[in-house]
Amino acid sequence: MRFYLLPLAACAIPLAANPYTQFVVNLMLVYILVAVGFNLVLGNLGQLAFANTALFGIGAYAAAMLMAHAGWPFWAAIVPAGLAGAAAGFLASVTALRGIRVYYLAIVTLAFGELLRWTYIHGEAATGGTDGLAVPKADFFGIALDSETARFYAFLLIVTVMVKAVSNLLRSKIGRAIVAIRDNELASASLAIPTGRYIVAAFVLSGFVVGVAGSLFAVLIGRVIPESFGLIELILHFAMVLVGGLGSLTGSILGAVALTALPEYFRRFPGLYEMFFGGLLIVFLLAQPRGLAALAARWWPALRERYYREN
Amino acid sequence: MKRYLAVLACALATGAAAQDGVTDTTIKIGVMGPFTGNASSYSKAQIGLDAYYKWVNDQGGVHGRRIETVLEDYACDSTKGVAAVKKLIHQDRVFMLHGNSCSAVAMAIKPIIVEAGIPWVVAHAANGAISSPPTKNIFHGVPVGQTMGRAMGQFVASKPGLARVAVISHTDDWAKSYCGPATAFLASKNIRPAIEVALERGQTDSTAQTLRIKQTNPDFIIACLYEAETAIFLKDMKKFALNAPVMGTAGTDLENTLKRVGDLDTVASYYVPHMYADNLDGPRLKKFVDILKKYYPNESVTAFSLISMGGAAAVVDAMKRAGRDLTREKLIAELDRTRNFDTGVLAGPISWSASDRDGVKDVAVAGFVKGKPTVLKAWGKPL
Amino acid sequence: MFALQLALSGLAQGAIYALVALSMCVVYRATTVVNFGHGDLVMAGAFVLYLLAVLAGLPFLAGALAAVALLFLLGVAIEVGLIERIKAGPHIGFALMCIAFGYVLRGIARGVWGREVLPMPRVFDFPPLVLGELVVTGDALAVFGVVGVLLALFFLLFYRSSAGRVMQAVCQSERGAALVGINVRAFHGVMWGAGAALGAAGGVLVAPITLLHPGLGAIFLIKGFAAMTLGGFGSLGGAVAGGLILGVAEQLVGGYVSTKLIDITAYLVIILVLALRPSGLFGRAIAERV
Repeated sequence: MRFYLLPLAACAIPLAANPYTQFVVNLMLVYILVAVGFNLVLGNLGQLAFANTALFGIGAYAAAMLMAHAGWPFWAAIVPAGLAGAAAGFLASVTALRGIRVYYLAIVTLAFGELLRWTYIHGEAATGGTDGLAVPKADFFGIALDSETARFYAFLLIVTVMVKAVSNLLRSKIGRAIVAIRDNELASASLAIPTGRYIVAAFVLSGFVVGVAGSLFAVLIGRVIPESFGLIELILHFAMVLVGGLGSLTGSILGAVALTALPEYFRRFPGLYEMFFGGLLIVFLLAQPRGLAALAARWWPALRERYYREN
Repeated sequence: MKRYLAVLACALATGAAAQDGVTDTTIKIGVMGPFTGNASSYSKAQIGLDAYYKWVNDQGGVHGRRIETVLEDYACDSTKGVAAVKKLIHQDRVFMLHGNSCSAVAMAIKPIIVEAGIPWVVAHAANGAISSPPTKNIFHGVPVGQTMGRAMGQFVASKPGLARVAVISHTDDWAKSYCGPATAFLASKNIRPAIEVALERGQTDSTAQTLRIKQTNPDFIIACLYEAETAIFLKDMKKFALNAPVMGTAGTDLENTLKRVGDLDTVASYYVPHMYADNLDGPRLKKFVDILKKYYPNESVTAFSLISMGGAAAVVDAMKRAGRDLTREKLIAELDRTRNFDTGVLAGPISWSASDRDGVKDVAVAGFVKGKPTVLKAWGKPL
Repeated sequence: MFALQLALSGLAQGAIYALVALSMCVVYRATTVVNFGHGDLVMAGAFVLYLLAVLAGLPFLAGALAAVALLFLLGVAIEVGLIERIKAGPHIGFALMCIAFGYVLRGIARGVWGREVLPMPRVFDFPPLVLGELVVTGDALAVFGVVGVLLALFFLLFYRSSAGRVMQAVCQSERGAALVGINVRAFHGVMWGAGAALGAAGGVLVAPITLLHPGLGAIFLIKGFAAMTLGGFGSLGGAVAGGLILGVAEQLVGGYVSTKLIDITAYLVIILVLALRPSGLFGRAIAERV
């Protein structure tokens, strides 16, 4: 129940925010979901799979296409976006199963993402090509999400539900199995854990979560364009999970918040974003490679998570 | 106490009556540009317009107010673009926006700007859909893709005996905003491309494209390519003895392309749409080049550098006409009264009205004639 | 002749890819880190050359050698200063560290050169050789020549010299090498330096052909990956072969199928290889040790 304290407290944010800062908070919510989903594969399963932008993009495009071409309301497009992400996650898992590991997996999943982006660019009629697809006004069960505040509450609800679900998942049999596979796959197999099935499960679940995040992103920005789902975006996702803490749910949240706020902070140095971002990551990796979650756990032992490796 | 209350009342009154972004001494203009990222060379346009506004301040400003530009980087990314425009409108509370080079992001932020009602003069992005159909507050300060593509197509069609055309282009929306209208114009004359090939940004070789084009033996090639790729393609054309005139885009200019390929022979048949009143190093543009150099001494002058200054000149003119009591509504009304305003830097005048926000309709073409960049009316016909 | 011309251009392109792939492979073999920032090292090489040749006025050859040497030092510095320091952390952290310093390099390039797209003076400006219908430019000849020499030197060094034997020893077993008294940490630094230097050589060769801008490196990173995957991860000769084959494949696909596919040929190659033969052309089958 303590989990719900944070979202409840967050309900007060719109009172202090202007549309710009509210937008940034909404972006944080989207990226919290992205990081939580990515961490399932990167941190909990321990696979260096770079398919995240593919999953994100497919969720965003699925939602945008359903809303723009088929006229579906936003709330109806969320689950299909998640399913699209899950399907893409399933495809990505196939490579992981073939015994392809570490850097191979990273490269193949990266290639997968870029190929998807190529289809967005060249799939003119359906995807709008390089100009992208405009996302119609979002309808959330009858409420029009036409202000940042309205979007905030809708997103907060969706993200809270999904993060709680992932939290429960990590505590369940599936979650334990996934972490066991990360720690020692052969040993897990010898304990009669069907490793193949759980690897696929991790990718599919990750895909679902990130796909839903994609649908939120589409509504937040109002337009989906291929450029948004390239390598630069992937690096951002990667950095969020690593800075937050591999395998830690709290970490995903902290990393997403930090790395959404920072680029906005760097606005005061136009033109120096790349140098600052890279420099900050380097300093962080040297000083606190275990992530923000480790820092947080030191201050609040209650935040310590069972399956987050701190050694 | 009474005096304190009086001062407070005054302050509140002026605060309440004040327009967002306008104070007694300043006018805030939000300038969005891709200062980082792959498209950062586009941001030269925003640098140019920033230099111009600084110059206006040094000339005394507008009705006693200095123009304060707030530069925001969005790296041609839609997320950053939305964040930047919201920051400018809701946090920095600027009076108006003058910026944007990337069409896709411009389309993404258009609904936000329309809803906010803040005047926006598009500084560089070429997609005509941004300003048409006309909205209450959006103005195009540079020629749109349709205008430039049409000029390109017209020039190509003016070559006597034109039968076959080849197209080489990037696949991004920037290139399409030129090549689309150009090929559409030619299609209206019943000339369809014999071949259309793609050359992506970042590629360092165009052998396959050049050879495929050569096979069709074209009379003219339309090249919607960026600076580096244009140089590579022209060099490959020479290498494989593909002799045909090339119609480029406003993403390149003659002087710098010559510098990049290194010899006149390779660029002798290269043409570009020409939006300026003169060559970049010509006498009529000297004033603007000097303005740029004064405030940004290390900035090199290319096709992008001066393009937004014309729009800036028109904005300043409209602000002056609006008078000291400046509001957004008054500025929009004055901008809509701009008729045949000679900016001094653009080839054609700017005209805006409530039913037509496509401000710049005149684009010429330039090419090398006897080794010198020359403006041309049509094939073989210097101005 | 169409196919032959395409293949020739493809080989010239592929030679650069081979160099980049080899340099990434060297780093990988020596320290098991895949350098995700390698493209930016290639770019850094080109930019340092620009600084020396255009701004400091050095002749091209001197500038090129100096750029390669400076990048060697940079490679060593990165390994010793950054990579070695996070050896104890999660393996995945290396990837992010490499990406991060790539960002910093790009940021520095952008900070110094700003928005400009910089031309290099034309260096290999000999008239092209024309053999029948085949055209071989000065650029291509220079690239073949230089890459050929570099590769020959590298493989001679690796397989014939005593320094090379040290490298092989460490690659085979770090603990074993340390036990016989080889300074493994120095070795790591040197190999990163070598990888950076080779990458810089690629940048130096590419610089006169194209225009320089901070984002130059991104495309080489992907081609390097594809070449390494095609040749077999960890195989030095395979990386070279993979690079050449990739270059030719791109041109053939562009010439015969569609120019729109050239950009994604590398990705298609990656997926095909890993679907059909994950160990690549020359790699050993991956066996996992328990």
